[in-house]
Amino acid sequence: MDIKIGLDLGSTAIKMVVVEGDQIIGRRVAPTSPGQDALAQKLIDGALAELGRKPAEIRGVASTGYGKKLFTGAGMNIDEISANALGLFRLSGGQARTIINIGGQDLKVLNLSEAGKITDFRMNDKCAAGTGRFFELVARLLDTPLERFGELSRAGAPDLELNNTCVVFAESEIVSLLARGESRETIIRGLHGSVARRVAGMVHHQLPDDGAVYLDGGPANNPGLKAALEDELMVEVKVLAEPQFTVAYGAALALS
Amino acid sequence: MTMTASPNPADSRRSRLLGKVGQKDQSLHQQQIDQLRSRADFTPELDYFLQVMENPWPAAVSERTGRPLAAILCLQAPLELFQAFGWQPFKIYSGSYVTGRLAANDLPAIMCPMLRSALGAMQLQSGFLSSFRAWVLPTTCDWVVKFTEMMKISAGLAIEETSLHRLELPHLKDQDDSRERWLEEIYKLKKFLEKMTGRVLKPGKLREALETYQRAYAVLSRLTELRRQGAVPAVWFTSIANSFFYDTAENWTAAVARALPAFEGRPRPGAGGRVFLAGSPIFFPNFKLLELMEEAGLTVVADDLCSSERLFPGAVNISDHSEFGLLSALAERYHQGCLCPTFADNDRRVNNIINPAKREYFEGVVFQVLKGCHPYDLESFSLAGPLQAEGLKFLRLETDYTAEDSQNLLTRLEAYRHHLEA
Repeated sequence: MDIKIGLDLGSTAIKMVVVEGDQIIGRRVAPTSPGQDALAQKLIDGALAELGRKPAEIRGVASTGYGKKLFTGAGMNIDEISANALGLFRLSGGQARTIINIGGQDLKVLNLSEAGKITDFRMNDKCAAGTGRFFELVARLLDTPLERFGELSRAGAPDLELNNTCVVFAESEIVSLLARGESRETIIRGLHGSVARRVAGMVHHQLPDDGAVYLDGGPANNPGLKAALEDELMVEVKVLAEPQFTVAYGAALALS
Repeated sequence: MTMTASPNPADSRRSRLLGKVGQKDQSLHQQQIDQLRSRADFTPELDYFLQVMENPWPAAVSERTGRPLAAILCLQAPLELFQAFGWQPFKIYSGSYVTGRLAANDLPAIMCPMLRSALGAMQLQSGFLSSFRAWVLPTTCDWVVKFTEMMKISAGLAIEETSLHRLELPHLKDQDDSRERWLEEIYKLKKFLEKMTGRVLKPGKLREALETYQRAYAVLSRLTELRRQGAVPAVWFTSIANSFFYDTAENWTAAVARALPAFEGRPRPGAGGRVFLAGSPIFFPNFKLLELMEEAGLTVVADDLCSSERLFPGAVNISDHSEFGLLSALAERYHQGCLCPTFADNDRRVNNIINPAKREYFEGVVFQVLKGCHPYDLESFSLAGPLQAEGLKFLRLETDYTAEDSQNLLTRLEAYRHHLEA
């Protein structure tokens, strides 16, 4: 069977999936760096070699994300909002009505119809508050790997509120909190709460009466963020396996 | 031995800053002009508008028109009145991303970027204040109300009280006493212009002025019809509209008439992606959003921007040819017909968008908010519901005088294009 390639050239990482039928059979990720064209091609070549498939079997390549036009091997470009809707709707078995996507430098909220069509969407302006970059900065500041944020936030005190979601001002606030003796667990929990409040401000009246809210993008792997969102939105937030590949998968589906 | 006084360091720094910003501003203008000239749909008939925008400064406009200039802000002062006195109305604006830097220090961090840019741009023109015989400023939004104060603080430019006339705008349209007060304001403006020009307004001259503008609106009306069919790209429509205040109405009308055949013969784009553009104004060279919309496959077929379609209040209906009749007709046109978001009763704005005469031409509304432009920001929320209820897909975009959010905007516009198809 022919295969399709979906590439999501984002601001912090390039994600690639190999799709056969509508199943993801291979996936790769690499940090974004100069030379995205070659980097993306390397991901494809690596995945094909691992799967034992040949380039001639590729029926199409679609790219999405900020760098979508930088990959010259793509036969199709699609915006990441539409790709996100396509990918997550399919992966959720048609259950998704609201999607919260947290990317490297974007925060998006999408509403879908029962047929999976976008009925409304919102996206942050030029501000990194609440995005993957924000988490990365705090991880550096606290000298703590992002993978541990979920586990650590569970041990944090619940009543600390971070006032600043601005990346620059949050940095000085966190330094002050550390100097005051707050534990990193409590700070991380406070951070999740502040991001959840920012997302809630964007979701606004967009929560569906039925269907579920899905969280995807790299930061969706953080269970502390999921818990904070559930607390803030007062709905169940679902995270599917490997949520960072949803958009690349949607790009591949767009080829059908 | 002659002693030369060494320049004051502050003056020297200021002069260097003016030089740097001036150079960047010029290069930004030139870059945009070159980009427009290199488009595949550029025709020689459009060059007039680019030439006007290449130099929209008072000295050039004065030379081009041979008329004394009156600076205006917004759209409430009837243009025909200036014409009747032989004066040229000059709209203060700026679309430059760089000139705001000259006015940044003494102004609020979040404010109307267009006026901040204008406050900087006027510092680049030597003798800017003396270029104008009069200033006619309406009390529309807070930024405009405080404009002369901001000119003093940020640009060191103080308008002489004798040459300044404020039009006090009643912010309710649908009340009789508002209409009466506005008519009084128009009479006060007439008296002010009589004093400044040393002439008495003659009804005959005012009728001629009305006819001149009727001819302008007639060619514009044809251009707008073509726009509804998708034959006039937004960058060209905006270029034509923006240049309206920087030459005489007669010259501009002739130039539009010359340009019309080029658009009439143009192939119409396919259906889909046709939108109404609403919100904060778009002035040259800030064509970022228009170009991004085009890149995303969206065609603007109508707008209600005060820098574009709404610059033209439309022909005035005259039934009474007396001075009172003419001024009353003008007053009504410029007040009742105005959709400025500073009005408290502005329901007509929604009706203007969903007007069946326009509604059939587009599928959605893109609403642009310039960060700090509070009245439009507010209206973006109040308009969304009623427009969506009419089946129009609504996209609100907030941006600023900067190019750095282009990718973010493009992503949303591309998704919106898909959303329109859904």
